[in-house]
Amino acid sequence: MPHGSGRRMRLLQIAAAAALVLATAGCSGGLAGGGDKASSDAGPIKLGMIAPFSGSESAFGDYMKNGAQLAVDELNADGGIDGRKLELVVEDGACDATTAVAAANKLVTEGISVSVGGYCSGSTLPTLPIFDSAKIPMVIPAANSNKLVDAGLPGVFLINGTGTQQAQAAVKYAQKTGIKSVATVDDSTAYSVDLAKSFAEQAKAAGLTVPFTSTVTPGESDYSAVATQLAKQQPEMVYWTGYYQEGGLIVRQATDAGFKGEFLVGDGSVDAKFAQIAGKGYTDKVLGTFTQTPDMLTGADTWIADYKKLAGAEPGPYSTQSYDAVRVAAQAIKDAGGTDFDKVVAGLKGLKDFKTFAGPLTFTDQGTRTSGGFVIVKIDPATGNFVLADDLQG
Amino acid sequence: MMQLLWNGLIVGSFYALVALGYSMVYGIIKLLNFAHGDIYMLGAFVAFFTLNSFGIEGSSSIPLLLVMLLLAMVTTGLIGVGIERVAYRPLRKSPRLAVLITAIGVSFTLEYGVRSLFGANPEAFPIRFASHGFELAGMRITGAQVTLVIIAAVLMLVLAHVVERTRAGRAMRAIALDTQGSQLMGINVNRTIAVVFFIGSALAGAAGVMAGAYYGSIDFLMGFIIGLKAFTAAVIGGIGNLYGAMLGGLVLGMLESFGSAWFGGEWRDVFSFAFLILFLTFKPTGLLGARVVERM
Repeated sequence: MPHGSGRRMRLLQIAAAAALVLATAGCSGGLAGGGDKASSDAGPIKLGMIAPFSGSESAFGDYMKNGAQLAVDELNADGGIDGRKLELVVEDGACDATTAVAAANKLVTEGISVSVGGYCSGSTLPTLPIFDSAKIPMVIPAANSNKLVDAGLPGVFLINGTGTQQAQAAVKYAQKTGIKSVATVDDSTAYSVDLAKSFAEQAKAAGLTVPFTSTVTPGESDYSAVATQLAKQQPEMVYWTGYYQEGGLIVRQATDAGFKGEFLVGDGSVDAKFAQIAGKGYTDKVLGTFTQTPDMLTGADTWIADYKKLAGAEPGPYSTQSYDAVRVAAQAIKDAGGTDFDKVVAGLKGLKDFKTFAGPLTFTDQGTRTSGGFVIVKIDPATGNFVLADDLQG
Repeated sequence: MMQLLWNGLIVGSFYALVALGYSMVYGIIKLLNFAHGDIYMLGAFVAFFTLNSFGIEGSSSIPLLLVMLLLAMVTTGLIGVGIERVAYRPLRKSPRLAVLITAIGVSFTLEYGVRSLFGANPEAFPIRFASHGFELAGMRITGAQVTLVIIAAVLMLVLAHVVERTRAGRAMRAIALDTQGSQLMGINVNRTIAVVFFIGSALAGAAGVMAGAYYGSIDFLMGFIIGLKAFTAAVIGGIGNLYGAMLGGLVLGMLESFGSAWFGGEWRDVFSFAFLILFLTFKPTGLLGARVVERM
């Protein structure tokens, strides 16, 4: 979620979105009017993606868009689906509920067949009922709050492991390294609270002690309250489940305050900026739970090269998940023999060990993947990038 | 306990520096300059831009920081003067509401101007205070914090000297009391108001650079919350009163420090803005403020 000033940003963004809607309505008037069905059977199959292109999470939008576009280009080069080309339609969700809802409505009117977007859980949640009532299946690449599947909507599928699965990996790591006491700090957003809660519950169930859990307000600079608390209680490990900006500040301030334990961060914090913000010498004990990115995988060189050719930049977090989301959606449409909601959902449910970057994918009845694919990453002191530390296998 | 006091003092010094500009501008032209927090943000970005252009990174030298501080102060001071000239002076005779709305417009312009120049992502500040901690009287103190408090104290002392002992300061106080009367006595009102904007904006710019070097991360919206907090500090201390602004900043820092220790970090803003409401309800003149005729 963006800062406390979200309301003001939202105002601007609504204004911008309104302007956009007006502008596009002006030039697409003839098509939008009638036979959605007729045109969608012949024209390209549209895949919609809501991702943040503005606001504090805006860096992830391009990673996701380029990853998805790469998959679309590859599929089109292979002849598309049953002779129909794929087309990616991207909207800015700004990691903000109001903006994301407006974006979702816009995608629905544009006649998308499957939604392959969703980064921030907090802004993805309110878009689910919109897609659901428009009978559009959702293959969500990044957002992974348990709340997304708790509602039990039939068309929701998560490419990324859920908060529960990520928390499982964190607990597994703690047990593996013999850590006995853990604390959690979240940033009060849906994704973060969910992950922290899930971790605390599973940690207790696994016999670890949780001396305290804490919440901070994102967008502030001073986190001395939680830093002091960490230094006083000295848990062996703290799990920070928010995003990297606050995470970098908290690890620095906690270390300065005298906290000596390990600092585990959730996937929202896994970004090279984390080390820059924390500063040199503050990242030795920083680890993260994360789904693998291409630079951690062996044999992904061609993929990375293709991505660079398309995007002109390195791939980043959620590039692979977005790439996989498009391929998963395309496979389901192919299996379904069309874009009918029930058939595509059946197609998604029918996928068996579909090859993805995070391992073979099969969906559970809830729409989550049967295995989470989370690994432990650490910060490389030379570059500040997160690199693979422990794949948690065996 | 001592640690909470110290934490409060650190945050309080930031608030005090920004609150001073708020309070001075309000004292002299009765304008709540809502763009003031964004001047703080500009200060940080001026230093960030300069350091980046020279390719300086990962340094922690105090002289370099002081140079950046000075540079940012001059730049933001001039920007403050420019804003007053372009956005506020033409409206000085307009209803207060018009100027207030203009101030919000200026705030947006600065925020999204910086966003289009530097992007929306938080940036890591290239220079950092060295942070070697030591224990003193039950407090954990770092060198960065000491430097910070000293710089803030020096800036405030210089300001107090200017206002109390110089001609310009005397002119400011005269205009604050009676603008038309001062004009009749031959004081150049426009120039004095420009000086106030320069000083206030320079202090905010300095606070921005210090925040960048202390916390290490800057973004285009960093001025928004601190602007509101500085306003709160100014109200608590007594808006329009210089020493009130310093006191208010420190009091607010302490309130937040103790508030978040007692209620938890997520209650920190609730706690401090609840105090704003309490003060506005029961003691709108603040701790040190005199009764003024409300002209808004």
